[in-house]
Amino acid sequence: MPVYERGYAHWEPSGRKAMPAWLVIAKRGISEPLKRRWILLLVLMAWVPAIVKGGIIYFKLKAGNLADLLGGGWASIEPEGFLSFIEGQRFSVFVLLAIIGSGLIASDRRDNGLSLYFSRPLGLASYILGKMLIVVFFYCLVTLLPVYVLSLFSYLIAPESTGMQTLLLIPLRATVYCLLAGSSMSLVLLAFSSMGNRSIFVMVWWTIMVSGTETISAIAQGLGRDALQVVNFLGQYHNAAAWLFSSDPRLGVSPGVSLLVVCAWTVGAIWVLRTRIRPVEVVS
Amino acid sequence: MKQNPRDFVIPACQCIVQKNGEGIIIKANRSQTRIEVKDLTFAYLRDPVLKGVNFTLEPGAVGLLGPNGSGKTTLLRCLLGQVPLVTGQISVLGCDMARHARLARSGLGWMPERGGIIPGVSGVGLVAYLGELSGMPARDAMQRAHEVLHYVGLADERYRKCDDYSQGMKQRLKLAQALVHDPVWLFLDEPTSGLDPQGRVSVLELIRDLAWNKGMGVILSTHLLADVEAVCNEILVLKQGELLSRQTIDTTGVDPHQVFEVEGFGNEEAFLAGLQELGAEVSVDQRLLLVTMDLSNLDGAGDGKSLTPTMGVNAILRVAADNDYALRRLRRRPVTLAEEFYRMVEA
Repeated sequence: MPVYERGYAHWEPSGRKAMPAWLVIAKRGISEPLKRRWILLLVLMAWVPAIVKGGIIYFKLKAGNLADLLGGGWASIEPEGFLSFIEGQRFSVFVLLAIIGSGLIASDRRDNGLSLYFSRPLGLASYILGKMLIVVFFYCLVTLLPVYVLSLFSYLIAPESTGMQTLLLIPLRATVYCLLAGSSMSLVLLAFSSMGNRSIFVMVWWTIMVSGTETISAIAQGLGRDALQVVNFLGQYHNAAAWLFSSDPRLGVSPGVSLLVVCAWTVGAIWVLRTRIRPVEVVS
Repeated sequence: MKQNPRDFVIPACQCIVQKNGEGIIIKANRSQTRIEVKDLTFAYLRDPVLKGVNFTLEPGAVGLLGPNGSGKTTLLRCLLGQVPLVTGQISVLGCDMARHARLARSGLGWMPERGGIIPGVSGVGLVAYLGELSGMPARDAMQRAHEVLHYVGLADERYRKCDDYSQGMKQRLKLAQALVHDPVWLFLDEPTSGLDPQGRVSVLELIRDLAWNKGMGVILSTHLLADVEAVCNEILVLKQGELLSRQTIDTTGVDPHQVFEVEGFGNEEAFLAGLQELGAEVSVDQRLLLVTMDLSNLDGAGDGKSLTPTMGVNAILRVAADNDYALRRLRRRPVTLAEEFYRMVEA
């Protein structure tokens, strides 16, 4: 069959509405990982604590204080219990974000994809926003979405729960927290991703950032040096959220200081992204 | 692009604002197809890569020639608005690239030399994705992706992952992604790099078809002179960041500047004097006399429109006969683009 028999035809726009570029990037970035079974399995595994918490809430109804004894604050249907749940998801967040986010910019840099992106009518802000939404989506998938489901479940099953608290205030608090914390974390992860061409190195840096700082924080706590806990990366987010969920601080530093640290990380990440993302070809 | 009576043009960037039932779309003005570069000087660090470049291009097939490091790719990046302009002015499709580069890019297609493939995606997925990023609706982009992949000869391989493509298929895929949004200008950076002879010819045929039959402007940056000769009707030669020359490749008429190899015996002095009377320049290359003639200076050349291919040969034969010079050899030496290019670059 001759290859070129159809020839080239000019494009006639159909008049349908086009999506903004950031949404196109986010849509593809979200749908591609969800096609992989092992990522779906990872997401399902991240939902196990939510299922356990749901079971404990149900058990509490039947066994009263015994459930509180087993689950502690984590099983509570008060805001404190939901912050504890989000805090308990940190391992899933760490693993999932490392897998999803590490290559988002690094692979574009490696394959000279940035040159392709920025040959389109696309700005830096749209590119970063699109990539950021991918990470925020997966963050919310294992934190915010379970909170929504558990809130609804609690309202339906626990006699002491009120619609105002469990159906409105807790989801609202969780939404504000997850969107802000997710955006900030994703910017930091993307900044790491923009600094290299290989996702494995980004994963290493992310591990140091999350696990390394948490270890240092734990050692500092053991030595009674609470001020050093300010290095705990994920801990700062949970500590800063303490006032939002009306609960006790998570670390030995005040939530205000944690908020400042988180803001500093976010601003630093934006600066790195602005400096590192350029449509110049990678010369190896 | 069709214009409705409700469309209007923003004077500052010459962009068209289209209103439809679902909102407002701002697009580059495709009725303005010219590229204008004025006093463009650009440096990545200290040393300027481009120095005072000036030219104006109308859609056509333009070859961008130059040795390695002469600034070809940087010039294309400047035309795409991918690097910040400090000195000089670039206007593409009526848009000032210092301020409205994003709008102009909706009418530009870019085929990079290195990379440019997003791994893990099928060919059609990649082209449709980049079409959507160019501002096309999702369904239009997918439909168009199938069309352009068919055009470049990847119809049967469009569902395969890009990673599995051969080098030739990757080059075709890169051409397809540059075409998906139907650009006014196509910027190609070494499009035949790494291709076998057969693949090279077919890619050049596609580019030639786009430039000569579909009215698309093409800037072909390459160091392969044969590629430029096969496709382009105009060349820009860059050397060390400066625009050395701009020439038109005339494939239809007779080139008035011709060089002849002459060998013979007899009254050589009189023969040379006769040639000089015709305005020819003569140099000696071993046993051969190299006669460079401007045919438009000969009697009967008129204003240059009545030149014939045998005019130069006939003139030399006449001078030889008049001056008792017996010719043993008379041959027109073809001046290739390569010779012309090296002459310019080495000068």
